[in-house]
Order: sequence, then C-alpha cells, then structure tokens
Amino acid sequence: MPEQAIKDKTAIAGIGWTAFTRNSGVRTLTLAAEASLKAIADAGLKVQDIDGVVSYFHKRPESKEVAELAQMLGLKHCNFQIYSDGGGGWNCAAVFSAAMLVHAGVCKNVLVFKAQNRYSEGRAARSERAHDVSGPDQFTVPFGQHHAAAHFGPHATAHMARYGTTSIDFAHLAVTERSHAMLNKKAMMRKPMTIEEHQASRWIIYPFRLFDCCQETDGAVALVVTSAERARDLKHAPVYIMAGVGGVSETSGWWETNGVNSAPKLYEGAGIAPRDVSLAEIYDPFTFMCMTHLEDLGQVPKGEIGPWVRAGNNRLDGALPVNTHGGLLSEGHIAGLNHFIEAVQQLRPEGVVDDLCTGPHTYDRATCRQVRDPKIALLCGECVDSAMLLRKA
Amino acid sequence: MMNAYAKPLPRTDVDSQPFWDGCKQHELRAQQCNDCQRFRWPPQAFCPGCYSWNFAWTRLAETGKVVTFVVVHYAAVAAFQPDLPYVVAHIAIDGTDGHVQLISNVIDCPWEEVKVGMAVRAVFEDVTPEMTLAKFRPA
Ligand SMILES: [Zn+2]
Repeated sequence: MPEQAIKDKTAIAGIGWTAFTRNSGVRTLTLAAEASLKAIADAGLKVQDIDGVVSYFHKRPESKEVAELAQMLGLKHCNFQIYSDGGGGWNCAAVFSAAMLVHAGVCKNVLVFKAQNRYSEGRAARSERAHDVSGPDQFTVPFGQHHAAAHFGPHATAHMARYGTTSIDFAHLAVTERSHAMLNKKAMMRKPMTIEEHQASRWIIYPFRLFDCCQETDGAVALVVTSAERARDLKHAPVYIMAGVGGVSETSGWWETNGVNSAPKLYEGAGIAPRDVSLAEIYDPFTFMCMTHLEDLGQVPKGEIGPWVRAGNNRLDGALPVNTHGGLLSEGHIAGLNHFIEAVQQLRPEGVVDDLCTGPHTYDRATCRQVRDPKIALLCGECVDSAMLLRKA
Repeated sequence: MMNAYAKPLPRTDVDSQPFWDGCKQHELRAQQCNDCQRFRWPPQAFCPGCYSWNFAWTRLAETGKVVTFVVVHYAAVAAFQPDLPYVVAHIAIDGTDGHVQLISNVIDCPWEEVKVGMAVRAVFEDVTPEMTLAKFRPA
C-alpha cells in the first residue's frame, strides 16, 4: 500500500480539556462544551468556524450528544456529524474521521470531543449493562463475564501462558506510568507507586490487580482538526496528521490484537518505519493491554514486552517514551482522546504546558515531563482498532 | 423452587435458539456448514468460511480445552457475589477445529489450578425450568 493521499494534508490546531475528577457536578454535555470552547479558543478560531462535529460512545450512547452539543453551541453551518459506537477502539478513528471530512472538502474545521461522567454516573450504567443478555451478551453475561477486565483479561492470560509474561511485568508498566503522572498537573493519580504496592494490591479480575486497572473519570477533552494550510495561519504551530487506520480484522489468537493487521498499513500510509516513532500514547485500560498494543504495533518484538518494560524503555528518557501523561492508568480515562491532548502538547514547539516546570523545559525528571525533541507520535485505541501517526511541524 | 434464580438469563434469538434448546436436552450443539463442513460460533445464518447458507445443527463432543480464562474476584452483579472467586474461561470444543469456543465457568476446581490447555468436560445446570447452562469441570 502506498502512502495515504491524506498524509500531512490536515492538522490538529487546537486542544482543550476540563478538570479530571470523580464528581464533576455538571452534566456530561456541560463538560463537552467546556472542553470544546477551550479547544476552539486554543486554535484561535471562533465557534462559528466549526462546521463538523465528531464523537463516540461505548455500548450505549449517553444521549444524542453530537447533535445536542452542536445545538448548545448554536452552530449555524454544521455540514457533517458523526457519533460512532466504536468505544475505546475509536479514539484515533474519531480524529481521522474529522481529518477525512476536511481532506474531502466537506468541512473546514471539525470539532472532536469525548465527555463523560464515568466515575459519578458510570457505575450505575455499568451495572445496568451487566444485565444486557441479548446478542453476543447472551453467551457471556449469564456466566458472570461483566467487567471490562473480564473482557480483556483473556488476552493477558493467553500471553502469559505463551510467552511467560508475569504480573511483575505489569507492575513495571504501572509504576512507570505513575511516575509520568506525577509530573502532570491534571493527572488524577499523583502519589508514587512501587512494584511492591502493585503486587500487594487486590485481585479485581485475575490476571489484573487493582493497580492494573485504569481510572474512572469525570471529564472531557476536545480538539479541532483543520487543513494543514489553514493550520499554518492559526495560533499554534500545527501538529500534522500523517496517517490513520480504523478497521478491525481477524487475529490468530488471544495473545495478539488487531494491531498485527492494522499497524503495517499505518506505517506504510505515513511512509515511515516503526523505528521512526519518537513517543507513543497507547490505549491502556489495563496494564497488559498497553503492552500487547506496543508489540502488535511493531514497537517491541512479540513476546518480549516484559523484559522491555522492566528495562525502562518506556520511560521519558527511554528508547520509546510511552504514555508520557500517565495514561488511562494514572492520568484518567477519557476514552483515549486524552492521549491526543498529550501527543499534541509534546509535539508543539513550546512543549507540554501542565508539567511542573515553571520556565523553559529542564528535562529534569523531578519536574519536567517533556520528551527531548520528539518528531513523530504514535497513538492507538483499544486492540489497535484504530491508530494514528502525528508529526511535529 | 425455594429461591428464585437471581442471575441474568440469556435472551435467545432466532439464530441461537437451537443451541439453548440443545443445552435443555443436555447436549452441546453448533451449526456446521453443509458445503464445507466448517463449524461456526456464535450462531449466524451463513458460513463465514464459504458463505453457504446451507447448514445443520450438529451435536458436539462434551469435552474441550481451556484456551484462556480470567478469575473474577469482584462482582459487578450482586447475584454473583456468593460465587467469588469464579472462573470464566474460553473453551474450544473438541472436534470443531477450534471454531466453536464457548465462554463458560470452570467449576469444581480451585481457581489456582485452572491452566491454559486444561481438558474439561461439560456439565449441565438446569438453572430454571426453562433454561439450562452448560458449564465445565476438569475432565
Ligand atoms: Zn462453508
């Protein structure tokens, strides 16, 4: 497959986020509007410049969120709206859908958002979902498979049996991501974590302990996608969208994910090799899922992720910094769209704005989480059902 | 019955009804393609191998192997609380070339002893007068 026609033709021009909490006290759509207005202002655009809106949900939509947000914002010229059921696999597909709308000439400036009151309201919704017994759920729910950890744990168990990966390997990933979150003012979890504390944390659903599981978060993030040409005239340096993928194909076993199908197309689409990636913001609802994603994305040889994380390759000064914001595990869970906020910050000339540095970035890991001179960021959603490459201007 | 069954029950559909009817008869059944002989799971109207719409419901072996599993230590649904910890396994039924992988519980076995590749045998639980669930124990 040749390079994608869309390569470098679109860019992320603005980003916005709310506080990440366990009790927002406001409606989901209010969070969506706050993050969206911040992203539009960050781009240096006006609300009426937005002519497309994209979001996604898991299992059941909260409401007609996309249409309702467009209405709340009073958009006068909205040419296209998408509200996908792709769940956490769809973070990169959401941004890439916006890019395709721009590249196709259907829209000029597309707003992408994800908003949720997942901590304060999500538990009730999850309990409700646990009683869904039709379609594929008729074969799982009656046997007590109710939780995301029960859905993804089988991947981890199979990998452990095939490659000898262990819970202590998972611990190293959790501890490293926490150390990144400690340098992130908006992260929900900023207390240090040790390997021993991880190993002492209780089983939730084996092979996942409490500290293998992500946060549940009330909050929202948003971003604005526009053409590369327009982005160059806006407030911030553009972060270019190199390539994207968003399809799901069969895999040969539980020890691998859709990344084995999608990653080669992604790199070819961008005209780069896996080793050209400077940093990775990888979907991590559970420690192990981040690890298999890194393998399936061709960043680590299959089966070798355990030693790779133990050696610290995923740290801020490692061979491939991973989840530099702390990820879903420690920053918070905004369905992986928060990973874009981090990637865009890392790829702007001024770097991240919410670490503990007070002046220019020092690269002192007591205060600074900016990666040294990153050029290309790799992002993915659950099971690499979608993925994207971004590059610095 | 002394206690009403409190756990969620399957909502059957036109494709899956013969499978649940089989469980009621204490049999495992799956669809097999009449043209290429391939088994398939979950139930659907045509063969994902050759796209033929001709098939028969075939009685399967009652034995299989654990492909992978989790052990639930936290109950999202209160009715499962008394069972904690319990095993939810993906079980490849023997003789189906790996195409029929059921999700079910491995019972009558300490969870620490469940292993990938372990041989198991079906055991049928008549949970209500209308519904039977196929579970598995070490073979
Ligand atoms: Zn066939």
